[in-house]
Amino acid sequence: MRRRHLLAGLASVGVLGGAGAVATGGIPDAVGGGDAPEPVEPVTLDTVDAPGSRDGEVTLPAPDRPTFVDFFATWCSPCVEQMPDLAEAHDRLGDEVLFVSVTPEDVGGSVSEETVVDWWRENDGDWLVAADVTTALAARLNVGGYPSARAIDASGRVRWATSGTHTTEELVEGIERALDR
Amino acid sequence: MDRRHFLRSLAATGAAAGATATAGCAGVLGESGPEGTILGPPDIDLSEASHPSYGEEMPDFTVPDPIAGEEITVSEFEGERAVLWTSFYTHCPDGVCPALILRLRRAQEVAAEEGFGDEAAFLPITFDPERDTEEVLREYADQQGVDLDAGNWHFLRPETYERAQEIHDEKFGLVIEKQPADDIENLEYRFPHYGLIILANKQGIVERAYPRGPQTDIERLVDDFRRVVTA
Repeated sequence: MRRRHLLAGLASVGVLGGAGAVATGGIPDAVGGGDAPEPVEPVTLDTVDAPGSRDGEVTLPAPDRPTFVDFFATWCSPCVEQMPDLAEAHDRLGDEVLFVSVTPEDVGGSVSEETVVDWWRENDGDWLVAADVTTALAARLNVGGYPSARAIDASGRVRWATSGTHTTEELVEGIERALDR
Repeated sequence: MDRRHFLRSLAATGAAAGATATAGCAGVLGESGPEGTILGPPDIDLSEASHPSYGEEMPDFTVPDPIAGEEITVSEFEGERAVLWTSFYTHCPDGVCPALILRLRRAQEVAAEEGFGDEAAFLPITFDPERDTEEVLREYADQQGVDLDAGNWHFLRPETYERAQEIHDEKFGLVIEKQPADDIENLEYRFPHYGLIILANKQGIVERAYPRGPQTDIERLVDDFRRVVTA
């Protein structure tokens, strides 16, 4: 119980908070930076019937191809800002990865599916959207804020893990780390 | 306070003495663990930190849960429920708080799935009661996917900002102070704060303090939580 430890802790959070002002959760993530990460055990989620998406299920990470997951939420304003860059990244790499946006909201419960569809339409989303209502995927990929991104290679290993908003170039570079080429 | 100080010094002594003898039993389940704990000592010794840590008594205080319309006294859960505690505010501009709440929410979900929801209490306390009214907290619960109907989740809202500061400082060793937020649109003030999560067992003894709460590995936290609740 030493006060100086506390103050040191506070100061670092303060610095982080300041740097993260443009992004929800400017927290560097430990996941994915290592040499040989363990494969992520897949989770099956319900998908949302929205532009570019369909009503059904999706297993993430995909068992046989690279996967890119964008974690967003309809209450998250930095997520709105990042949508044009995600769209551009999707245009460039959408054929090479399973490209999916996932919300951890309680879709169909406290948040209606319509809310998600409206948000998606307003922000010109045009790819697969899924709902992680039990947060099983968010837990497995250790989400620390929104937006968060994970690029996972075809063997299920996380190759890029980040939170906060990113430019198209950053997204493309991150996703390419999970591609076999 | 005397009792708490006593327990703290006892805990420190116990930890020091235990270090020589318990190397082989770290992580063994049972009531004979050091200082009444279920989990073995954490990888990183936090006993010098300003906040409560492994083997210490969970701080006790009484604060209203405005949504349930009742007063919550932390020690009343002793003998019945393990506690997962954090502190937050809904206007958190940097994503730290949703990350903390997500960790508690995942534990709540797992407790429900595995049938031990009645043996756990989730106690996130706001240090911004002026803005975090009952209505705001209710909306936040929906937004963050919290299950208020499970009866184990209590948003704690001290009556005043000063009372919130007092609880954080005196009980948790965390200093809370408003700071201007001129750089953030639609936000008058913000709080640099410590993203702390605390797990306490059914005897009211702290099993884990996660000082970097927003980054804490979710599955590891849930695993600690499951072991403590179901022990």
